Amino acid sequence: MEENTFDPELIRAIFRLVWEKRGAEREKNQHSENEAEAGPSTTKRSRLTTVNMNALKVSCELLRVLVAEAIQRAAAIAEAEGSLKIEATHLERILPQLLLDF
Amino acid sequence: MVSASAPLQIMDDDDEFDWEAAVHEIDVACRATAAEMPTVVPDSNCKQEMFVNTDQAMRKKGKFEANLSSAPSTRQTTLDKFIGVSSCNSRKFEEKAGNSYGQLCMSNSIGNNICEETEKLNEFVSIDAEAAKTWIYPVNIPCRDYQLSITRTALFANTLVALPTGLGKTLIAAVVMYNFFRWFPEGKIVFAAPSRPLVMQQIEACHKIVGIPQEWTIDLTGQTSPSKRAEFWKCKRVFFVTPQVLEKDIQSGSCLVKNLVCLVIDEAHRATGNYSYCVAVRELMDASVQLRILALTATPGSKQQTIQRVIDNLQISTLEYRNESDPDVLPFVHERKIELIQVSMGDEAIEVDSLLLEVGRPFHARLCTFGLLPKRDIQTLSPCDYLKSREMFCEKPPAGFPQSRQGEFLGYFGALLTLHHLRKLLSSHGIRPAFEMIDEKLKQWQFARMVGRNEALLKAKLLMQKTVSHGAPSPKLAKMLEVLIDHFKAKDPKNSRVIIFSNFRGSVRDILDALKNIGEYVKATEFIGQSSGKTSKGQSQKVQQAVLQKFRTGGYNVIVATSIGEEGLDIMEVDLVICFDANVSPLRMIQRMGRTGRKNEGRVVVLACEGSELRGYMRKQANSRSINKHMINGGTNSFNFHPSPRMVPHSLKPELRRLEMSIEEYVPRGSKAKDSEPSPLPAYKDKITDAEKDLLAKYFVATQEDAWRPSLIAFPHFQAYPSPANDVLHSSRTLLLIDTMQHLQELTYSHDRNPSAEDDDVPDPCLRVLPVERQDNVIEDSERYMDRAEEESDKEAEGSGQELQETELQKPKTWLHTFLFASEFVSVDGVGNVLVLSLPQLPLGSSSKRTEVSNVASPYHLMQDYKGHAEIPLQPMDNHPLHPRPLDETVHEFSLSNPSAEDEKKFDMAEEILQSPVSSRMQNETDISDQDLIDIELSPRLTNFIKSGVVPESPINDSETWKGNRRDVLAVPALVSSLNLETERFLNSCEHKKKEHVNGSSEEMDILCLNDNGIQTPPLDCNTGAGGQCSSPVPVVKELQTPVTKLSNTSSSKDWLPDSGVQPESVEQQCKFRRLRKLGDCNRKFSTETRNQTGASEKFLTSRRADNHKSTKLLKAPKSGKKKQSEDAAAYIEEEAEVSSDATASDDEEDVQGGSSYEDSFIDDGLNSTTSNTQAGSSRVDMMAIYRRSLLSQSPFPRPPSFPANHSPDSVVQSSKMDGSGSSTGTRHNNAPQTGFESTARNNKDTSDGVPTEILESRSDSRKRKFSFHQAHSLPMLNLDREFSLLSGAARENSSVHVPVEMAGESIDVFEDDGFYEGIDLDALEEEATKLLKQKAECSTKKITGSSETNEQNLGILDIPSFDLGF
Repeated sequence: MEENTFDPELIRAIFRLVWEKRGAEREKNQHSENEAEAGPSTTKRSRLTTVNMNALKVSCELLRVLVAEAIQRAAAIAEAEGSLKIEATHLERILPQLLLDF
Repeated sequence: MVSASAPLQIMDDDDEFDWEAAVHEIDVACRATAAEMPTVVPDSNCKQEMFVNTDQAMRKKGKFEANLSSAPSTRQTTLDKFIGVSSCNSRKFEEKAGNSYGQLCMSNSIGNNICEETEKLNEFVSIDAEAAKTWIYPVNIPCRDYQLSITRTALFANTLVALPTGLGKTLIAAVVMYNFFRWFPEGKIVFAAPSRPLVMQQIEACHKIVGIPQEWTIDLTGQTSPSKRAEFWKCKRVFFVTPQVLEKDIQSGSCLVKNLVCLVIDEAHRATGNYSYCVAVRELMDASVQLRILALTATPGSKQQTIQRVIDNLQISTLEYRNESDPDVLPFVHERKIELIQVSMGDEAIEVDSLLLEVGRPFHARLCTFGLLPKRDIQTLSPCDYLKSREMFCEKPPAGFPQSRQGEFLGYFGALLTLHHLRKLLSSHGIRPAFEMIDEKLKQWQFARMVGRNEALLKAKLLMQKTVSHGAPSPKLAKMLEVLIDHFKAKDPKNSRVIIFSNFRGSVRDILDALKNIGEYVKATEFIGQSSGKTSKGQSQKVQQAVLQKFRTGGYNVIVATSIGEEGLDIMEVDLVICFDANVSPLRMIQRMGRTGRKNEGRVVVLACEGSELRGYMRKQANSRSINKHMINGGTNSFNFHPSPRMVPHSLKPELRRLEMSIEEYVPRGSKAKDSEPSPLPAYKDKITDAEKDLLAKYFVATQEDAWRPSLIAFPHFQAYPSPANDVLHSSRTLLLIDTMQHLQELTYSHDRNPSAEDDDVPDPCLRVLPVERQDNVIEDSERYMDRAEEESDKEAEGSGQELQETELQKPKTWLHTFLFASEFVSVDGVGNVLVLSLPQLPLGSSSKRTEVSNVASPYHLMQDYKGHAEIPLQPMDNHPLHPRPLDETVHEFSLSNPSAEDEKKFDMAEEILQSPVSSRMQNETDISDQDLIDIELSPRLTNFIKSGVVPESPINDSETWKGNRRDVLAVPALVSSLNLETERFLNSCEHKKKEHVNGSSEEMDILCLNDNGIQTPPLDCNTGAGGQCSSPVPVVKELQTPVTKLSNTSSSKDWLPDSGVQPESVEQQCKFRRLRKLGDCNRKFSTETRNQTGASEKFLTSRRADNHKSTKLLKAPKSGKKKQSEDAAAYIEEEAEVSSDATASDDEEDVQGGSSYEDSFIDDGLNSTTSNTQAGSSRVDMMAIYRRSLLSQSPFPRPPSFPANHSPDSVVQSSKMDGSGSSTGTRHNNAPQTGFESTARNNKDTSDGVPTEILESRSDSRKRKFSFHQAHSLPMLNLDREFSLLSGAARENSSVHVPVEMAGESIDVFEDDGFYEGIDLDALEEEATKLLKQKAECSTKKITGSSETNEQNLGILDIPSFDLGF
């Protein structure tokens, strides 16, 4: 594992963002289901997903590898095109295979 | 000041003196050193602690200075005393490293003590010296002086705050908590409220007042599991708990008591007896925890003793009492009108009451004789008296009292208590609750034994029953409704909130029932406790909270509450409180009243019955007034207070600092955004450069939905090659993707090649390329054909090729789409997997064929796209007629000539159509060989094969050249079907293609065959080169079976029969589908017929639906086969009989019809079918519909009319053709299903559908051919008709119907129809009903559409027949 990976707190924040979004959606759905029992939900289900430190570290590393690989591949494409700048289209070209690789 | 440990607790007046002296000394010293301090000179009567605390709080700074400047020894001594007494338990912590203050103190001798003190205090909880220099009072909320002063007091002494409701006790608590939160960075603060709703309310209120960061706060209730709570106790700092939780967690040790610095107790008047509050505080004191206790209540107690008990239990050292009339409170008190409404009990109630009294009298008298009860009037006795007396009686029964009678006397007490309760209920809630209670009580044997036979009771009960049966109008209830209605007249029901209090759940229910009737604007609900009684189920706390939430937001505007709603609910809008029963303790009455008048003036209505209730109310009100005088002056006169620790070292003198609090939005715990709010994101934002921010804004907008998303399909070409990988190598899935993409793109490459080859006219290169290749192929095929087979066919092929080119051009236009579709196909098929797989497989099977296949696939797509191209269909139409003629010529002999002609036509058609070329190539190759071998014989066989099922037939064909051709045809249909399916799935354009196919039925057939070969079974394709094996690959077993049958059949032109036999086997499963499809087909055919009427060619173009086309094509092909079969009429009939399955029967019929000079009709049918196909839209539906259509294909009969020349014969022929098509479709369906089953269900369906359609197409081609032939062969047709009659088919019926109209031979057809009915009935019965309905609708539509009257008539006839067919 490299030292120079993502800041775990950043990744955690991103994770949390996603979880919150999902949690909000879930809650919305729940509310529609049992409106009679609405009210501040303090149940376990509504509690936010959490991630422990080790999982976070691994996630950081995985994301780092993913991003590095994506950039390298995109850079190769960009170079082949004679471009010095990686554009979104370059990323799009390598994206399907990249996603399958991970 | 330091600790309220045991020795200090004992402190009384004696100790007071020392304390007072000490305080005075300190004060003097402070004044001496810091004269500026505005000291509040304490009342000499005041308790010292309070004095000390308050004064010290004010003068801390001064003290500190004094210490620094080597304070006088006097002070030191006092401090020593001070500390020594109060902090005896905490001496041991001297070794602790002092903080800066401690060190400062160390410098002088006096400081040591102080330092020691601070250290002691900080043993577990260190104080933040910087923060402790001030205490903060928020100015977000308008400052109220009394709140400020109470807060100041509460910060430095254990305080009981007795403040009337609605005056902001929570604010005081929140400020105190916040300051302790600041001062002790590791301290834990607990807020205890007696119920969960209150906890939730307070946590939010506290947050709103001072904004304690939510990540530090947590609410702990019984709902949180103890293990979780233990965790929270460790990681959080501010806890909002219920007392029970607090008690338990303290006892279990999960609550880190040593870290507690502040305990706030809401509704402190509950702290009596063994209530959790008391237990918790006792535990804390035993653990010698130094903490600040702040107790809040609006009603400390109704008696001096009870208040004292609270003070004792909570270790209170100061009482802060404010009355509503106090000058500093007065401005903030909203007017609260209290109305007492006296309600008469009602005559019945009074009567019952007296009767109940009567009941109790004997018991009372008997008890009195033993001196067990005070000798008073029974009316004046209260339950307390009974209970007390009973207790006494149990403890020491009167001397000489016989043991044996003890139980009896206890029973008397019980009865009296019950009666008293009854009377109370009666007086305060009316007769109904009392009656219910008495009813219930009488069921209990004890009470029943005591009074069950009592006449007075029975009488009372009877009376109550009577009134209850009359509705038991309760005067109180009526009055309450009156009040409520008046209230809502005066106030907006939307903004007004009303709480109705009742002591009993029973009456809560009654009230709710009554409220239901008074109008829409009253939205009432109940608010009751958790426990579930016998009569009513309790509300869970969740429900309670939901009720409160809705009540706040306006979902309800009336809640009917039991005592649970009395305390603490802070609902601003409540402007009316109705106390349904008045005889409650003044405490509760005050609490009840406190629910209103918070924000605006409120109104309290107390409903009291005259009599006991009213008396009780008055008495209690007087009681509560008398208590107030105890409380004035801080209660120092009346109560004994306890010392309390001074949490802040004397060296620190926090100063008031008013501060504008920045309070984050409160996030209810459910959504828990708390934790994430604060830190991380901003931190990153700091690190991010502006450019990066821009990038983020561009590509990552969290909430914006239209943010840029990378596309996975934007560059399909790039997916055909592995992208350069660095650290992460490609996975197997990626390789699979690459493989797949390569296969897919081969197609595109071939297409590309094609365009380069030929058509310059085509605008789009891709489109052009494809067509060119196809054309080439077609041409080649045609050439081969020419050479090997027939010159006529060659000519036709050429013409068709030209036409094909045209069509190709058109197709190219759609080409691009097709490409997309192709990919889509792959994916769609991907569901079934077959398509994708088949494509690669096909190339493997034969290189040329592979390319062809791939081309075919693309053509298919193109075909689909072609939907819009009307020209193509027209051309095919033209070609067909042309072809049929030559075919007819050749066919004259019979099926042999027909097949060849058909094949040629097919080839031509294929050539004509780009798609067809590929198929044509394949077919041509196979056909060439097959045709070369046995052109004549093969053609009928082919038709048979087609009808039965392309694949099975093909093997037969292989064995026989005929079969080979036919197989090819069959394969083509299958391909077409698959294509059609695909096209259907993909788009309507597919349908158009199919239409085109239909137009060039033979070509299409070929194409279909090719497609089938390629798609369904690549290996088969290779085989197909030889013969029908191509078709067989998927349904190998079936094919094998079919081949055998075919072989036998072929030998004697009985091929149809074997085919049919084979087909039936496969068909059986599909029968239902066939029926359905047939129905659909019929409908479609009808529609197509109408369309044909309007303009056959145009109709085809416009309404070409792939499915319909396919079905029609299939029908056509079978027809051709039928024609051939017609030659072998007898054999066919036999075969049909053998088959016995509807499908086979239909096939036979088709064959017969085809044989019977229905060529023209076939053509027409083809057209019609195409139109009908076009009508049929959805592929899946089409599947079913195809079967139906195939059955109904007979409907094309009307179409024949559209073809003027052939009309009469055509009609007959068409009918036969229709039948044939139906049968063929059925057979084809069977085949297709078989193949489909082999591959995948979906694919199977699709393929089956496609196959039928293909078959239909082929049939149509054959029909076209036959048209010419038919004209020539009128006799055969008759024979065929006869055969059909023998075969018996619903389709025949249709045809027969048509035939009668048009043809003489129709009568035979009719007979045939009957026969068909017999055969078909089993399968079709179910479908009939639905079909009928659909057909009717369709018929009507068709009729409407029908341009020509004759056509319409025909259609109508057809429709009816189609119904029959459905049967």
